Amino acid sequence: MKLELGKIKITDVQFGAETKVENGTLYVNQEEITNMVLEDKRLIKAEVDLARPGESVRIAPVKDVIEPRVKVSGEGKIFPGVINKVKTVGEGRTHALVGANVITCGKIVGFQEGLIDMSGPTAKYTPFSKTNNVCVVIEGKEGIETHEYEEAGRLAGLKVATYIGEAGRNVEPDEVVVYETKPLLEQANMYPELPKIGYVHMLQSQGLLHDTYYYGVDAKVMVPTIMYPTEIMDGAIVSGNCVAPCDKVTTFHHLNNPVITDMYARHGKTLNFMGVILTNENVWLMDKERSSDMTAKLCKQMGLDGVIITEEGYGNPDTDLMMNCQKISKAGVDVVLITDEFPGRDGKSQSVADTVPEANALVSCGNGNIIEHFPPMDKVIGTLDYIETMIGGYEGSLKEDGSIEAEIQIIIASTIANGYNKLAAKGY
Amino acid sequence: MLESRDLLIITNNNRVLEKYQSIHTIEFHDETYLEVLVAVRNKIHQNYKLLTHPMAGSLKPNQTPFKSVILMETELTDYNSLMLIENAIESANKFLKFKSLPKWSENCIYDFKTLDLSFVEGAITNKSLNPCYQVI
Repeated sequence: MKLELGKIKITDVQFGAETKVENGTLYVNQEEITNMVLEDKRLIKAEVDLARPGESVRIAPVKDVIEPRVKVSGEGKIFPGVINKVKTVGEGRTHALVGANVITCGKIVGFQEGLIDMSGPTAKYTPFSKTNNVCVVIEGKEGIETHEYEEAGRLAGLKVATYIGEAGRNVEPDEVVVYETKPLLEQANMYPELPKIGYVHMLQSQGLLHDTYYYGVDAKVMVPTIMYPTEIMDGAIVSGNCVAPCDKVTTFHHLNNPVITDMYARHGKTLNFMGVILTNENVWLMDKERSSDMTAKLCKQMGLDGVIITEEGYGNPDTDLMMNCQKISKAGVDVVLITDEFPGRDGKSQSVADTVPEANALVSCGNGNIIEHFPPMDKVIGTLDYIETMIGGYEGSLKEDGSIEAEIQIIIASTIANGYNKLAAKGY
Repeated sequence: MLESRDLLIITNNNRVLEKYQSIHTIEFHDETYLEVLVAVRNKIHQNYKLLTHPMAGSLKPNQTPFKSVILMETELTDYNSLMLIENAIESANKFLKFKSLPKWSENCIYDFKTLDLSFVEGAITNKSLNPCYQVI
């Protein structure tokens, strides 16, 4: 598959009569967005607000972050099987509004979590402090069942991102990057002297607020499968996960998966990027056995020399991570893990919940237990009502002046386990 | 042949109790998250093995009060289950040492129960009681 990704650089966002992109500014029609979201009768409120880099704005609680994209040519459309009809994507041309994001916020459950500061000392922990954000604050109708509300919220964000993405259809991109992966045998033969490397992408799949969807299929009921890396760029994978803000993989992070981007940067130079193996993180132990067995089998079957594995979450997923690591290693394929850590505030406790002897090459995305001070912001999009009960917050976290003292795991994507951040760890 | 009553759910979540008590065997503990994990460990020492992971969900032990774990009886002590539960208890202690469970509102309590229930539902759904599903 070959995909041309046209990046349209967005440097500002404003409300306007028409949703369009002009000279790097994204204009959005507030009313159209609100009406579109409220077409789903499960929602009774959809307030649209804007947050720009450097503003004294705090956004909380965050559900998902989605980069607006549109398929300009090639089969299918963005978010196939979820917003658009199901069709295999990943080829042709897609435009992305880079520097703009749709952020859904509002409580799904009473302890809904995750915050983004657009300025101040903690802005650096999240990539979304540097993007021009269209925030949609939603509220479900009285008595709505949690599963229904979650789905409504998830679809709302994806719908709005699809709608805004359309504004990029006829805009000349500032940059076009071409990504190409050939069918397996052709790809292997293209660079015979380079190591064949794959990416094992573990998808969160434990239940409500912990789900991921591949072409609309709940990852919980999937068996491991092979995906062309470009499919993810067209929204083949969307997030239904909104717990544990620091290492939650938002839909933005799926679209912009850093392992895929970095593998392509080295493709044909130091490695032969063969493709992606998708697997899940189920709660039922036999599913874990099945998934890790099959993942190891696929690695071997694809003729891989090595893989990078990333996961989403902590605890139960760490067991999947280690099972994958062990079985793939035993199949004769080299493994490197990328993950974040929770070794306590002093950094001395065990970092991940599980381990195996084969896990001897790991890149850390940082420690989620570190405490930070968040100064007060002039404006809050959403609400701060849940700060003290968010993961990373505690009683007394939220001060009277609006400042917060909390662990960095309260910040969206601060330690995200696929490496799309700037934290690391050093051994001494 | 495995019967539905052969599935044992140890839980402190009354919504799990209500939903499954007529189908599976429930050991209900009106106690803390950690005490549920200890009850699970006790059962493993009595030759029960884990069918679900005791650390399901991204909610940390110092955030959610609820935990449900599914087991079944076997003939011998399953060391893999022992390792998993000991890891889970150690992890719970680690988190609770740094921060204790907040005093949640009624709404939040209900939401945590919903999530815990969904982990159990997701695990059990579509699982036949074919003996093959137990072999790990």
